Amino acid sequence: MILTLALRTLARHRVRTLLAVAGVAVSAAMLLDMVMLSSGMRQSFRALLVEQGFQLRLAPRGTLPFDTEATMADASATVARLRARPEVERVSAVLGSQLHVARPGSAAGEGTVTAFAIGIDPRVQGDYELLDGRDADTAAARADAPVHVVFSDGLLAATGARLGDTVQVAVGHDPQLRAFAGQRRAIVSGRARFRFLAEGQRAAAIALPALQAMRGTDGHDRASVIMVRTRAGADVEALRQWVDRAVPQATAISTELAMRQVDERLSYFRQLAFILGSVSLVVGFLLVTTLVTVSVNERVGEIAVLRAIGVARRRVVWQILLESVAIMIAGAALGLLLGLVTARYLNGILADFPGLPAAIDFFLFQPRAAWTALGLLVAAGVLAGIYPSWRGASLPIARTLRQEAVG
Amino acid sequence: MGEGRDQRVLSRALLLLGALLLASGAPLRSASAQRLDTLTSAPRREIAIDERLATDAGLRIGDLVTVAQEPGGRGDTVRIAALVQRRADPSEIARGEYRVHLHLDQLQQLLRYGDRVDRFAVATRDGAAAAESAMEAINDAAFGFRAHRSRDIAVETSTTFAVVSRFHRAIGVITVVASAIFLLCIMLLKIDERRRDVAALRLMGISARSVMRSVMLEAAFVAAAGSALGVAIGAAASAIVNWYYRGVYRTPLAFALVTADTLVLAVSLSIALGLVAGFVAARRLLRVPPLALFGR
Repeated sequence: MILTLALRTLARHRVRTLLAVAGVAVSAAMLLDMVMLSSGMRQSFRALLVEQGFQLRLAPRGTLPFDTEATMADASATVARLRARPEVERVSAVLGSQLHVARPGSAAGEGTVTAFAIGIDPRVQGDYELLDGRDADTAAARADAPVHVVFSDGLLAATGARLGDTVQVAVGHDPQLRAFAGQRRAIVSGRARFRFLAEGQRAAAIALPALQAMRGTDGHDRASVIMVRTRAGADVEALRQWVDRAVPQATAISTELAMRQVDERLSYFRQLAFILGSVSLVVGFLLVTTLVTVSVNERVGEIAVLRAIGVARRRVVWQILLESVAIMIAGAALGLLLGLVTARYLNGILADFPGLPAAIDFFLFQPRAAWTALGLLVAAGVLAGIYPSWRGASLPIARTLRQEAVG
Repeated sequence: MGEGRDQRVLSRALLLLGALLLASGAPLRSASAQRLDTLTSAPRREIAIDERLATDAGLRIGDLVTVAQEPGGRGDTVRIAALVQRRADPSEIARGEYRVHLHLDQLQQLLRYGDRVDRFAVATRDGAAAAESAMEAINDAAFGFRAHRSRDIAVETSTTFAVVSRFHRAIGVITVVASAIFLLCIMLLKIDERRRDVAALRLMGISARSVMRSVMLEAAFVAAAGSALGVAIGAAASAIVNWYYRGVYRTPLAFALVTADTLVLAVSLSIALGLVAGFVAARRLLRVPPLALFGR
């Protein structure tokens, strides 16, 4: 009965109600987007970090993984020490380098394509997912024998190479001498998706010893990052502290620490999400409060009659509250759909950030985000109805009836 | 090249190599425990460090520190001669590393870099045309070099901010849509509240056009007053944003600017929206016969 009355009252001024619902829908869309933004990038970054189960990353002291060109010396000794720890299940050393790839049929230096290469041990690596063909070699072959490498789609497209082609790869380009520090033949044996790289980025994976050897003294037994996976139930923080003490050339970064650093770097987006989300909520609240207050002012006579014939004050309050909540719920339902569309559009804009891994989403839909947005809107709807319902319930019946009758 | 220009080139190359040293994870530790070093007769080399490093490491001008390529490796003990403030460079905002400025030759020795630099910066005397011809001359003559315009490099390095700018624009469009609906709704309510006034005016013989003008004028005033308040809030918010983010990122960069263009756009958009909302609301009301507005 109360619900029917509330809905009929709203239907009486269709244009006004539709505009209010549209206003709330835009606010709700913005609110949902901001809730998604505030938690989405964090969640997707965490998912990316833990996807392969590595909980600890060692980077050159004072740096973040691949944030600089710095490398760590004595990588094999560090890997051996880590593997000797009982709580460590897997260790993967990675060396990053710029790689110059000659198109099939041409020599290095002639029409080369520049790519980012990682030197890995394919048996333990967590940097890429092999999509097609066979994996890279596990060890360096003889210097004069070709080494099997894996290319990203971006690099395959840029070089025009196909699986099975032999190409010339080189590192350490000296522009003055037009010479390379090291080069060798490579067979493109596989196609892979590199988890930490941007969509379409040119990348290659090659056996770690082969890449180290190509870099000469500059790459001898060096690694850019060492990733560590611990056994179930291991104390990651204790291991991190041990690494910090025992490996002076490295900074150990746990997933939690990495998340904190990402939070710090991307704090702008979280704060923006908080501010815009709050503003959206306030705008929706003000809109509904204004609308319902005006609506109550227009029908004080009706309310006074209802009260005069014995309708309880509580029922009047409920009816007005229901009006504001109904506008909020209708707007929220429309806004959630609109929010998903705008989130997709905004995510497309932010996906153009240079170097952003393809797996990172700024706007990640999670049911929790939708429920949070809906809960906040319903709460705002209830709050928006408090003032007009108080006003409606506290009308002096006799005086209002007299004023309305006299006009 | 004149001497002053050489120095400019040198200092820029020095700055770039300074960044490279930091990239190598070079540690800086207080050399207070290494006072014996000061007994050597050779004069100390001097470095400049950024003020964030000075704050975080508790360093002051005159302190002795050791700089090395590798953590714990052999390095040089140098004196801090100057503190420098970070440039207002957007590309450095999210980067947390410290900057140290060394003399070029010293850094080359530390890195075993030989007589090499990463890049030269060249300032020309006569503006864009001279820069263009200098670039062409370098690219034609130099072997192993490639000259680029500063503005091309700026475009390349500011991609991140172009993305952020597009994101802000998209958010701005959503905000404008929400504001337009809000304004239309409020104007509709305001006009609806005055049904009886409008009916009385019409019955007194005031033309629909005059009522329309009056309503639209009122809408324009409301929008202008709202804009004035919005500009004041925007200016205050901009000051707070700059104060807060300058502290967070420790940079002199301005994050939010209220410019004349922004003001003109915001105020004119707001008044235009107000006028449209007033027109729609008034037209809707004027279509109803005056007696019907009285409820008869």
